[in-house]
Amino acid sequence: MKIFVLNCGSSSVKYQLFEMDNETVLAKGRVERIGMDSATLTHKATGKEEVHQTSSILEHTTAIRKVLAVLTDPKHGVIKNVGEIAAVGHRVVHGGEFFSDSVLITDEVKAAIKSCIDLAPLHNPPNLIGIQAAQELMPGIPHVAAFDTAFHSTMPRRAFLYAIPYVLYRRYRVRRYGFHGTSHKYVSRRAAEVLGRPVDELKIITCHLGNGASIAAIKGGQSIDTSMGFTPLEGLVMGTRSGDLDPGIIPYVMAKEELGMGEVNAMLNKHSGLIGISGVASDMREIEEEMSKGDAKAKDAFDIFTYRVVKYIGAYAAAMNGVDAIVFTAGVGENSPAVRATVCENLKFLGVKLDPEKNEVRGKEADISAPGARVRVLVIPTNEELVIARDTKEIVEKLNIGD
Amino acid sequence: MDIKKVGIVGGGTMGRGLAEHAADKGYDVVIIDKSPALLHEARAGIELSLQKRQEKWAITEAEKRVILGRIQFSDTLADVSTAGIVVETVTEDLDLKKEIFRSIDQICDRRVVFASNTSTLSITELAASTYRPEKVIGLHFLNPVPKMKLVEIVRGLKTSEETVRLAKDFVASLDKTGVEVYESPGFISSRLIFPLINEAMYALMEGVATAESIDTAMKLGYDMARGPLEMADRIGLDSLLIAMERLWRDYGDLKYRPCPLLRKLVRGGNLGVKTGQGFFKYDKEGDLIRS
Repeated sequence: MKIFVLNCGSSSVKYQLFEMDNETVLAKGRVERIGMDSATLTHKATGKEEVHQTSSILEHTTAIRKVLAVLTDPKHGVIKNVGEIAAVGHRVVHGGEFFSDSVLITDEVKAAIKSCIDLAPLHNPPNLIGIQAAQELMPGIPHVAAFDTAFHSTMPRRAFLYAIPYVLYRRYRVRRYGFHGTSHKYVSRRAAEVLGRPVDELKIITCHLGNGASIAAIKGGQSIDTSMGFTPLEGLVMGTRSGDLDPGIIPYVMAKEELGMGEVNAMLNKHSGLIGISGVASDMREIEEEMSKGDAKAKDAFDIFTYRVVKYIGAYAAAMNGVDAIVFTAGVGENSPAVRATVCENLKFLGVKLDPEKNEVRGKEADISAPGARVRVLVIPTNEELVIARDTKEIVEKLNIGD
Repeated sequence: MDIKKVGIVGGGTMGRGLAEHAADKGYDVVIIDKSPALLHEARAGIELSLQKRQEKWAITEAEKRVILGRIQFSDTLADVSTAGIVVETVTEDLDLKKEIFRSIDQICDRRVVFASNTSTLSITELAASTYRPEKVIGLHFLNPVPKMKLVEIVRGLKTSEETVRLAKDFVASLDKTGVEVYESPGFISSRLIFPLINEAMYALMEGVATAESIDTAMKLGYDMARGPLEMADRIGLDSLLIAMERLWRDYGDLKYRPCPLLRKLVRGGNLGVKTGQGFFKYDKEGDLIRS
C-alpha cells in the first residue's frame, strides 16, 4: 500500500511517498518559495539522482500538481500513475480539543480544523489549503489528518489548565495543548522497542530539541505533560523563541519600550532564544562554534539553553515519580554531543550516566548510556512522516474492513 | 483582476508609508518620483522606518531585506504599466493630480484601477481626466500608513461597484479596515479632525494654555494617542494649511478658516516634523524631543 504524506506550510510543501508493505520511503522532497516566480522543487527518489526545478509556482494546488508530475515522471518518478497512491496523510498543527488521534478527513473535520485557526494562525490555514488542493488532485481516496497536538490530549487537567481565571478556558479554550506530538509519540514508541520493554510500563522523558524545542513526560505510553503550551512559545529556550519567562515582563517592557502587541509578539517569537541572548546565531551549531572561540554571550546562550532542559527533565522525573529513559531527538538532540553531555552531567543524581564515546554519535539511533546506568539515555532520530503514514494506513485498513 | 504589483506615484510621506506597508504584506511595489534625488530620499525614508521597526523587534533583518527587495524605485512614470493598481500620493494640487491621471491613463491597461490618496480633492473631478472614470476611486490612507488601521474608501460619481469591491479587497489584504464614504470634502476623518486641530491652535494663540498642556489635556482627557498640535506637526503644517483652505473654500463655512498662527508658522518655514520644528521640536528620526 502506497501512502503519500504531505506537510504544507505557508510557502512550502514537504512530502514523502511510502511503500507501507515494508515501511520504506520511495521518494521525498519539498517545494519552497510558493507564491514566487522562482519557486523551487527538490525531489529525491530512493536510488535515483536528486532533481531540482525552478519555476513559477503561485499556489499550493500547482505545487502539489508538480510534485505528482515528478512522482510519475518516467525518469525521476517512482510510480506509473497517481492512481497507485492508496491514501494521503496530512500533517495538521492544531487540532484544539477536537482530536485526540489521527482522523479520516470529512467536511466536519475540515470545519473543526478551520475553527482552530485562531489558535494556530500561521499553520492551520496552509494545512487546510493543502488538504483542499490534495483532495481536488487526488479525489476518491482517503485523506487523513494527523495533528501535532493529538498525542498530548491525554494530559490530565492539572497539567493542561493554567492558573488564570477559569472563564478564559471556558470562553476561549486557553489551556496547554502541546506540540511536536507526532515526534514525541514516535520516539517514545521506538525507545520502548530499543529497551525491549512494553511502552506501557515505562516512564520516558522525550526531548525534541530542534529549532523549535519541546520536552514531554510520557508515562505508560501516554503524554502526561509537555513544555509547549497554549502556543509553541512556552517552555524550553529555542532558536529564536524565549520559552518560559515571567509574564510580568511583558507589560513592563511594552510600557518601557512603547511596544504594541505585534511587536512584543515578534520580539518573543523571532528575536529571543539563542539569537536574543547570543546576538550571533539562532543555530546551536554556530553557538557551539562561537563558544569554542571564546564568545561569552554564545556561552551564556548555551548555558541557559541546557540549564532549562535540565530543569524540565528534573521536573518531569518528579511528575512521573521516576524515569526509565531519556530520549534526545530532532536537529540539536540528534546531533549535539555537547548539549547531551552538559544536560546529562547534571542528572547523575537520577542515575543518568553517559558513555562519552557512544555520546559522539550524530543523527543515528543509539543507546549512549554507560553500562549499568539506572536511567537509559537514547538518541533516536525522529520520523514524523512515518507516524503519519502508519496512522493513515491504519485508518484506511479499518475503512476497508468496514466495506 | 488579481493584484500582484502596486504602483505608487509620489515618494513623499504617504507614498513611502504605503510602499513599505504594501511590500510588507507581500506585494511587489514600484514607486515613482520625479528625480533620482527624490527617490534616494524616499528609499532612505523607508530604510529608516524599517530600521526603527527592527530596533523595536517588530521585524527581523531578513524580513527587512525582503521588504526592501520588493520595492522598485523609478523616475519613469511608464514603469507603473506592470501594476495591478496605481495609487497616487502626490501633494494636494488638483492640476498636478489631474496631469498624473491623464498620463497613467495612457500607460496602464484598461482594467487597472486608479486610486488617489487625496484627503480633500474631488474624486469625480480627478476621474474626469481619464477615459476610465468608473475605475477611479479614493483610498485615503492615514499617516503613518503601516500603523494606522483606517482607510477611507471614497466613491466618485461614476465609480463602479466592481471598483469598490476591488478596492475593499485590496484594503483588506493590507490588513486595514475600510470605511465607505461618498465624495464630500474632507470625507470623515479630515472633516472632523481639522476643526479640532484648528481650535487647538486658536487656544494656543489666545494664550489659553501652552502647547504641552493642550496636547496633554486631549491625550489624557480623551484617550488620544497624540495631541492635536503634535498631530498637526506630523501631518506637516504646510499640507495642513493647504487642506484647510480647501475645506474652507468648498464648504464656505467659517469653522474651517485656518488659524492665523498656522499661516505664520508656515511662512516662517516651521513645518512640523519634516523641518524638526513646528509646535514642538523633533529629532532627525521624527521623535518628539521632550523639553
